[in-house]
Amino acid sequence: MLFIIAWRNLWRNRTRSVLIASSVALGMWAGLFIMAIYFGMGDSRLRIAIDNEHSHIQIHHPRFADDFEAQYSLPFDSLNRILQQKPEVKAFSLRSLTTGMVATASGSQGIQVNGINPGAEQATRGLAAFVTEGEYLDTERRHPVLVSTKLAEKMKLKTGGKVVLTLLDTASNMTSGAFRICGLYRTTNAPMDELNVFVQKDDLDQLIGTSGRLHEAAVLLHRDDALDPVFHRLQRQWKGYRIERWQEISPETALVLSSLDTYSIIFIAIILVALSFGIINTMLMAVLERTPEIGVLMAVGMNRWRVFRMVVWETVLLAVTGAPAGLLAAWITVAWLHHTGIDLGGIMGDTLRNFGYASIIYPILPWHNVLQTMELVLLTAAIAAMFPAFKALRLKPVEAIRK
Amino acid sequence: MDAVIDAHNISKVYNPDTIPVYAVNNVHLHLNRGDFAALVGPSGSGKTTLLNIIGGLDIPSDGWVEINGVNITGLPPNRLIDFRLHNIGFVFQAFNLIPVLTARENVEFIMLLQKRPKKEREARVRELLTAVGLEDKMDIRPAQLSGGQQQRVAVARALASKPQFVLADEPTANLDSQSATALLDIMEKLNREAGMTFLFSTHDRRVIDRARRVSTLVDGRVTKDEPGTTPSTTA
Repeated sequence: MLFIIAWRNLWRNRTRSVLIASSVALGMWAGLFIMAIYFGMGDSRLRIAIDNEHSHIQIHHPRFADDFEAQYSLPFDSLNRILQQKPEVKAFSLRSLTTGMVATASGSQGIQVNGINPGAEQATRGLAAFVTEGEYLDTERRHPVLVSTKLAEKMKLKTGGKVVLTLLDTASNMTSGAFRICGLYRTTNAPMDELNVFVQKDDLDQLIGTSGRLHEAAVLLHRDDALDPVFHRLQRQWKGYRIERWQEISPETALVLSSLDTYSIIFIAIILVALSFGIINTMLMAVLERTPEIGVLMAVGMNRWRVFRMVVWETVLLAVTGAPAGLLAAWITVAWLHHTGIDLGGIMGDTLRNFGYASIIYPILPWHNVLQTMELVLLTAAIAAMFPAFKALRLKPVEAIRK
Repeated sequence: MDAVIDAHNISKVYNPDTIPVYAVNNVHLHLNRGDFAALVGPSGSGKTTLLNIIGGLDIPSDGWVEINGVNITGLPPNRLIDFRLHNIGFVFQAFNLIPVLTARENVEFIMLLQKRPKKEREARVRELLTAVGLEDKMDIRPAQLSGGQQQRVAVARALASKPQFVLADEPTANLDSQSATALLDIMEKLNREAGMTFLFSTHDRRVIDRARRVSTLVDGRVTKDEPGTTPSTTA
């Protein structure tokens, strides 16, 4: 009966209740929508980090990451053989890496030269998909090099042009080689684009003396959740190697992703705190308007705990009535925008790319966050109910009836 | 006789530290089971205050009230509410029904607070609303009932808890003559047939004429306590 009274009381002032329920719905929609954008950005960053940049796991010589010297390499054949045998591994790329410099009439620029097997690299991070001009490295041309559009603009490089790369070999001596620009690429990570050029592994190995060796094995798995088991097995298998997951390779990405939950909760909490003032105000008005009625209820035998519960019920119902509408609106908006994407490129230009994010965001609304938001709405309503409920509790029947 | 209400030396003083105003001044009142009594007096004489004190809604500055031998004056607030729920029925001048509940629900609500079983509740609601002549208005909300009908629902609500007695504060003040007469008929019938004790505060001649005992209050003091038109059952 308390529930019925609370529910019917809610609709005694229909306009006021509808307004508050609408505010809750709007707040809920806004909160969930912003949350979905956050998660969409996070997911996009995660996919880029894994599918286009670092893969799930990377294996290096323990000293390579510290000094980045070509001499710290790993045996190609054994790694190749073992990785081929792992059923969880979707693709892997065994790379030779070195630092160097590209020099043209426009200037010079420090770079990282990636010696890759074009097929394996394509399978591991889909590099061919980012070629915007010319051809990918699987070309018939001799000594092809793939450079980014950003580097090409800066150094005034053109497809088909020749470029000399000066590199450090395994003995830390300078060596150089002439390469023909087969194509230009543009990924979603502008800073990485500017630094990296890609050549065929054999070409680089000849120049720096790493035939039969490799500096980096990038391993892409079929499933994200296989990461930890595979990682631990590889660690046990290759004790002397430096084996890292994407979280260790790109800690900033891991940090961003791990803080998404916190950010979204903070965001929702701010919205709900603002809403709670509206709810408190409405419920205080309701208690004030119904003071004689509450007095009568207490007079005829409704104890304080029941009065308290009645006000809390009413407040929670007020909040919860608007929440499903907000949830539905958010779900529809997110489902639609997840399909079409939100292109922020026009507004933000290359800003997102400069931070390694795609300019098209596909919002995502994970269910556990929706449930968490619902819990927060309930909690807010319960907290917002306290003040009006205590106000009702303090009423003395004889005084309340007279008002 | 079987005493239901025993009010001893009841006083209610406002502003005791500055200019004391006695709303009720050293009143003794004793009501037996089956009484049909009225507290009468001019406005401001202390009728409602005394009624509220007897009903446990207000605390006296001095004295105490015993209901069925239980001193309710010293009861803690929650026990007092519980005591009211099981022992006292209230009828207010402004009806004070819960507007969002139907007539049936308004009556049933009290029994729900008492945690009575559903079957018993349903039977009693029907019995009471039939007794007050509203068996065909059970599912109507107060706003759709006339003042007289609302007050009849209020009487049914007051009786729902099977109280020891009913306190009715100016129950006919907001009613037209016909409704007031009908209401008094019902209450008188309940008193005669079911032995329900009623204590009214009123200036309504119609109520005073039917009361079997009339206590007159002037400036918070009982100036007269005498049988009404019919012989009083109390000393």
